[in-house]
Amino acid sequence: MTPRLTLQLIAGFAILLFLSAYVFPYFYLLSTSLKPAVDAITVPPTLLPEAFSLQNYLTVLANPGTLKSFSNSLIIALCSTLLSLVLSVPAAYGITRYSTVPGRLFLVLALCARMIPYISIGVPLFNFMKNLHLIDTHLAVILAHTTINLPLSIWLMCSFFEGFPTAIEEAARVDGCSRFGALIRVIVPVASGGIAVTAIFAFLTSWNEFLFSLLLTTVNAKTAPIAIAEFNTQYSVDWGAMAAMSILFSLPVMLFSFFMQKRIVSGLTMGAVKQ
Amino acid sequence: MVSRGGQTHTRPRKPRRGLSDQNYVLMLLLPAAIFIGIFMLYPLGILVYNSFQHIKLTNPDSSTFAGLQNYLELFSSSRVRTSVGRTLQYTAVTLLAEFLLGFTSALLFSFLGRKSDLMRTVFLFPLMISPLVGGILWRFMLIDNFGIVNWVLYWMHLIKTPNDINWLSSPDLAIYSVTLPDVWLTTCFVSMILYAGLQNIPVELKEAANIDGASPLQVFMHIILPLLRPVIAVVLILRGIDAARTFDIIWVMTGGGPQFSTDVLSLQIYREMVRYGDLGSSSATATLFLVGLLIASLTLFFSIWKPGKH
Repeated sequence: MTPRLTLQLIAGFAILLFLSAYVFPYFYLLSTSLKPAVDAITVPPTLLPEAFSLQNYLTVLANPGTLKSFSNSLIIALCSTLLSLVLSVPAAYGITRYSTVPGRLFLVLALCARMIPYISIGVPLFNFMKNLHLIDTHLAVILAHTTINLPLSIWLMCSFFEGFPTAIEEAARVDGCSRFGALIRVIVPVASGGIAVTAIFAFLTSWNEFLFSLLLTTVNAKTAPIAIAEFNTQYSVDWGAMAAMSILFSLPVMLFSFFMQKRIVSGLTMGAVKQ
Repeated sequence: MVSRGGQTHTRPRKPRRGLSDQNYVLMLLLPAAIFIGIFMLYPLGILVYNSFQHIKLTNPDSSTFAGLQNYLELFSSSRVRTSVGRTLQYTAVTLLAEFLLGFTSALLFSFLGRKSDLMRTVFLFPLMISPLVGGILWRFMLIDNFGIVNWVLYWMHLIKTPNDINWLSSPDLAIYSVTLPDVWLTTCFVSMILYAGLQNIPVELKEAANIDGASPLQVFMHIILPLLRPVIAVVLILRGIDAARTFDIIWVMTGGGPQFSTDVLSLQIYREMVRYGDLGSSSATATLFLVGLLIASLTLFFSIWKPGKH
């Protein structure tokens, strides 16, 4: 063996070891969710379920609150993603396509907005929504999630539109499109790759978000993360049910992301590396 | 199609000349700007206004002007001082662990090249898990008595009894334990971005240095690190901001306890507002947190990032 190959083998082994330690927590969560409910807290704990059981899943799904919280999460995440795109795509295009003072100012504003601690915006947003009588409605959470999604969406779309050929727009204009018509009919379809990346990130942020949902909802618009956290009280925790619900909550998103992983990596690196 | 107020007036004119560039950009920016104005800037205005008021959540209509009193109370409150310290400690530990692990794995991936494709895919998956679920999961793994982490250490003969380490109930240790979910969830983010940055470094540069007889360490110190500087800066700033404003992980793991030892600023502000209903005081803390984080991250942004300056 050449020295380089030996080194590569050692590196590969190191990474595999690291990865298995890395994957272990999720594997353990999955294993716990498949144990009979009482086995979740046996001493000593077991790595694999001694008897497979779907009891935890059935308990969780039998609770009408679970499905309600999942549908709330889905509605809120989809609407917030859509709203973020409708607002950020034209803005980002305007900023990158034309170099204007308001455009550059807006980009700096979006950068600052990205650095705001969520609790600082959460405190006044709670009062604002309360005055509008929107507490515990989908709309309140959708608006709150869009507020935190918008800066990131604008930055992602800007780095996507950078180096976007202007010839496409010019060709559409020659064919008689208005500028805005060209944006909607020609540029948006061509930019659909970047828009998809932005949409994935906006959806993930909203789907996983906790603090704003906690502040803004009580019963009707309660999202899935809040429902999961409610299993977790100081005194008693139904670990089996909580594991099952966590799996139901994260597995679909993970599977989806697995198939979209090229796009996710490009989105992650787009913002940071291409600047 | 989206209908806009401004467009109906310009339609009768020749569309190709309609608006000046400046006005067209303004029109494109307007919806996003209005949204940010209403749902971010206006609430932040309320936040700053409330921070100068004596105001209770139970009766928000009766507020009296407090001047700087809320702020003065903050500076004399030991609870706030400790939570600032906790936030800095949490951020520093998380950032250091993520950066070291992320950079090491990025270098290994880069060394392996295409052979690491599958590994990188697997590595990416905790990124999709909600921080909340990550926090719950780690609480389950670290909990006294039946937590798997202590049992694994016990089986490996690293500790004498499975109850040796009180990960979450010891006030000295808990602040480090609560960094684990974040490190688990986002090391891959750090790694992926640094890996992409490493891929963007031209191979010729490294080869030229090798021909000149540079050792791998010299190549790393004098070529890779300086070229990676903007990427490293972006990673540290983004992760630093996220770690500083963490709420959900600590909320589900310890709720700020034991004995306030994991009480970071986000939790402190939340409790002040929701449990004590003290809107004036929590707004003042939130305002200072906002200003502090903005100043810190913008300073870092403009001092280390330095795009294009190699």
